[in-house]
Amino acid sequence: MSGAYRHFPILMVTIPFFGAALLPFLAYLRRKAVPWASAFFLAISGGLGTFLVGKIPPGGHLSYPLGGWEPPYGIELRVDFSGYFLMMAVAGISLAAVIYSRRYIEKEVEGGRITAYYVLFLLMSASMMGFVITGDVFNLFVMMEILSISSYALVAVTGNRNAVRAAFKYLLMGAPSSIMVLLGVGLLYSVTGTLNMADLAARVGDTGYREVLIASYAILVLAFMVKAAVFPLHLWLPDAHSIAPSPISAMLSGLVVAVSAFAVARITFSVFTVHAWGLVGTTLEALAVAGAAAVLFGGIMAIYQKDFKMMIAYSTISHMGYVVLGITALNPEGITGAVYHILDHGIAKACLFMCAGNFIYRKGFRKIEQLKGAWREMPWTCFAFSLAAWSIIGLPPSAGFISKWYLVYGSVRAGKVPYAVVLLVGSILAAVYCFRVVYYMFFQPAKEGDWGERLSEAPASMSVPTWALSLATLFFGVFSYLFLDSLLKAAAQLL
Amino acid sequence: MPEGAVRSVMPLLPILFPWISLLAIAIFRRRALRLRLWLCFAGSALSFLAVIVLLPSVLDGKTYYFKLASIVEGLEISLYVDTLGYYFSLVLAFMWMLCTLYSISYIDHKQNRYFAFLAMCGSFLIGAAYSRNMFTYFIFYEMMTFGSYPLIIHEETAMARRAGYKYLVYAIGGDVLLFFAIITNYFWGGGNVNFDQWGLPTLAAASKAALLTIFSSYIAGFGVKAAIMPLHGWVPDAHPAAPSPASALLSGVILKAGAFGIMRVIFNLFGIDLMKELGVHWVVAVFACITIVLASVFALTQDNLKRRLAYSSIGQVSYIILGLTMVSRDGTLGGIMQLAHHALMKACLFLCAGVILVRTGKKNISDMKGVGYQLPVSMICFSVCALAMVGTPPSVGFITKWMLGSGAMEAGLPVYVVVLLVSSLLNAAYFLPIIYVAFFRWEGDEEGHHHPALDFNSERDPLMMVPVVILALLVVVVGIWVTVPGFPLSLASRVADLVFP
Repeated sequence: MSGAYRHFPILMVTIPFFGAALLPFLAYLRRKAVPWASAFFLAISGGLGTFLVGKIPPGGHLSYPLGGWEPPYGIELRVDFSGYFLMMAVAGISLAAVIYSRRYIEKEVEGGRITAYYVLFLLMSASMMGFVITGDVFNLFVMMEILSISSYALVAVTGNRNAVRAAFKYLLMGAPSSIMVLLGVGLLYSVTGTLNMADLAARVGDTGYREVLIASYAILVLAFMVKAAVFPLHLWLPDAHSIAPSPISAMLSGLVVAVSAFAVARITFSVFTVHAWGLVGTTLEALAVAGAAAVLFGGIMAIYQKDFKMMIAYSTISHMGYVVLGITALNPEGITGAVYHILDHGIAKACLFMCAGNFIYRKGFRKIEQLKGAWREMPWTCFAFSLAAWSIIGLPPSAGFISKWYLVYGSVRAGKVPYAVVLLVGSILAAVYCFRVVYYMFFQPAKEGDWGERLSEAPASMSVPTWALSLATLFFGVFSYLFLDSLLKAAAQLL
Repeated sequence: MPEGAVRSVMPLLPILFPWISLLAIAIFRRRALRLRLWLCFAGSALSFLAVIVLLPSVLDGKTYYFKLASIVEGLEISLYVDTLGYYFSLVLAFMWMLCTLYSISYIDHKQNRYFAFLAMCGSFLIGAAYSRNMFTYFIFYEMMTFGSYPLIIHEETAMARRAGYKYLVYAIGGDVLLFFAIITNYFWGGGNVNFDQWGLPTLAAASKAALLTIFSSYIAGFGVKAAIMPLHGWVPDAHPAAPSPASALLSGVILKAGAFGIMRVIFNLFGIDLMKELGVHWVVAVFACITIVLASVFALTQDNLKRRLAYSSIGQVSYIILGLTMVSRDGTLGGIMQLAHHALMKACLFLCAGVILVRTGKKNISDMKGVGYQLPVSMICFSVCALAMVGTPPSVGFITKWMLGSGAMEAGLPVYVVVLLVSSLLNAAYFLPIIYVAFFRWEGDEEGHHHPALDFNSERDPLMMVPVVILALLVVVVGIWVTVPGFPLSLASRVADLVFP
């Protein structure tokens, strides 16, 4: 067994891919088993991940040459602690969402598309896991394409008019951004002659082509800003995230945009590195301004929403601003805050969307107004919502507090106090839009006919993942000390 | 680990015992109401016991330490019982026990929600009192802040909802300021916000602008809780809206959590010397003086009894702030003692207001003619505490005012004595009419009817009367036997010795 764990990262990525290819055959034999099989593949993938605990040297990384081709010629997987951490987050949240999907999807998606749904779901999860650990920029592009295409399809999976329109809007913004990633990678390749991140990092410093590098960095950042829905390139997000089926909203909002934001960190710290910061300074400053604007814009828009899925979607825009501000603080604390925020925002946001899904599943409600007095019928969903909202606001002892602490501290340390203030204002805005819903659910009398007295909680296969995620926000707050040291070391190593 | 501290789980026990209440509520959700409520009381009583067994060793100068978690190097969530923290925990655990007892018969609907949040807030507050650093303090403080929201809106009337909304707005604003203060302090304090020393040595190296930012953010952040004007807006709404035992705790303890935070900032983070060097203590003192006088003036104009008491609390909590910012030993001592003394008096007053509300349904002072004959015991207790508030000896109120006055003279600022005297006068002006209306007016007094006979029948409920009587007795007893070990002076003077060695 010794040393076998070296292969686990690639297995974590390939097993769901393999599963996605198998599902259609399984559906042909036994359609009922498809959801279980998808959960099984993701569980195996996550289970393998747990064997890697403690295997990654502090501040270092595991390098895995794909197919035995030594880097920089072959594709390299480069698992550092932040990548591993996010990969596990992807595995965990995907597993929760896929379990949640079984009952929910039966209701929203017509029978023939169910298999397609799970195939796309597995492709999406697997590509995200590959995305965060790859050490090769072209591979990054490939994974991002798989991720994007499966996301477009999943938004449209219900096939109704609005969903197709939202997916098309998503595609209209997403496709050019994919091309831009390719362009950026091509420019990099043209001046350095390599695609491996570590190799690139060694070479970008001493090429003579400053302008090309500046352009390629700006193009890459712009492209990933679209994918991460950073203001003002967020236009596709509110529709896509609110109209998609709730487990897909959970995946899109919790993970897909967040790993795209992480890609900005990868490009900045693993490719351009400290030595080339002279090249990227202006772009980073512009990015920080966009991030700050996103925090405020998303928060304010969320307050004015009437549809609760729309509100949660706007909240995501605000929180992507947090992540961007953490990355642009350019110090270990800021990066740690950003990575931790990707995790805890992912968990909490997925949980919020699942709660929203529970309400839609039982009642078909989409308006915040209709949640008045909801706790009588669905107390557990309401409690889960409140716990997740607690983390979104960043109140102790939830995980959101820890990441907020590091994000604000990172900004203060970088001498960017205005951004620290923006982050704090963002958390006030979050408190406003979250507490309003919590207040409606628990402290307002129900409108006539909306909610009865009888308990009618969502089925167990939906409630359990919802609750697991809401408790996870607490777990990662209280036990944050288990991860923070390694994350700080990994972040310090990036710089 | 702080120097000389004993590693022990003792600080954890009073934090855990209140959770018995939650367990009881979870187990008997719909059955055995009485038993459930008594178990809630048992939780708070055990918590008080767990605090009081530490008294002898704390008086010996021992400190206890317990680490919950270490987030990263230098930043940990840990408990630390020093004299100041112990003093606050003693006051609050005692208040919590009495108010839980009182609540058993006072709260008549949604008991589960009320008692669950009551117990949780108690637990978090003790955690806050025992925090070793500002980070831990903030965590407990914030949970307590939001945990007390359901207590405020318990009645669910339109007024309570509005008060709750206002409370949240102020609380969130204050907490964000506090968060900012702690982060900047952590950064400029060299990754250290511990309460072990009397002033962070690293902080002295920071620039003056940075220090001013940190200090003012702290004062404003805690000032919301401690109701320093102009940040007091939520207090006069929240108190009348909340059920009486909850208002007793709001006034007696939760407002003090803000004042306690300011103590930690002044004593442990900045240190008296640095604050003096910074030269802003007098600005805070001026705000405190304005609050003391203005709050009393506002109190004069209120007809709603609990609203009048709320304004009185705003003024009285600023005594603490004034004492701390005098920068003299007696002033500090007076400020620290006021924390406990005011809790005793004001809790008793609010509980009496609760008795009046339950037995007669009267909220406004102008309707309370002859209430002293209907509820003689409560109104006598009320009068005792009201006179103590004015500063009549022998009572705790007198001791505080004496100490504060002596501190003002020691600091060479007799103007503070004038403020104290004006405030006493105003206190008399708004408390004495209540006593007058209760005992010297009655229905038909102008037609020459004789006053009604004393009626002891409506005060037979021991659950409500025992806390009221205990508190009123303590107001006098602590005011006479001031120096008994375990009474506020014994602990406060130890703290003052540490602050002014």
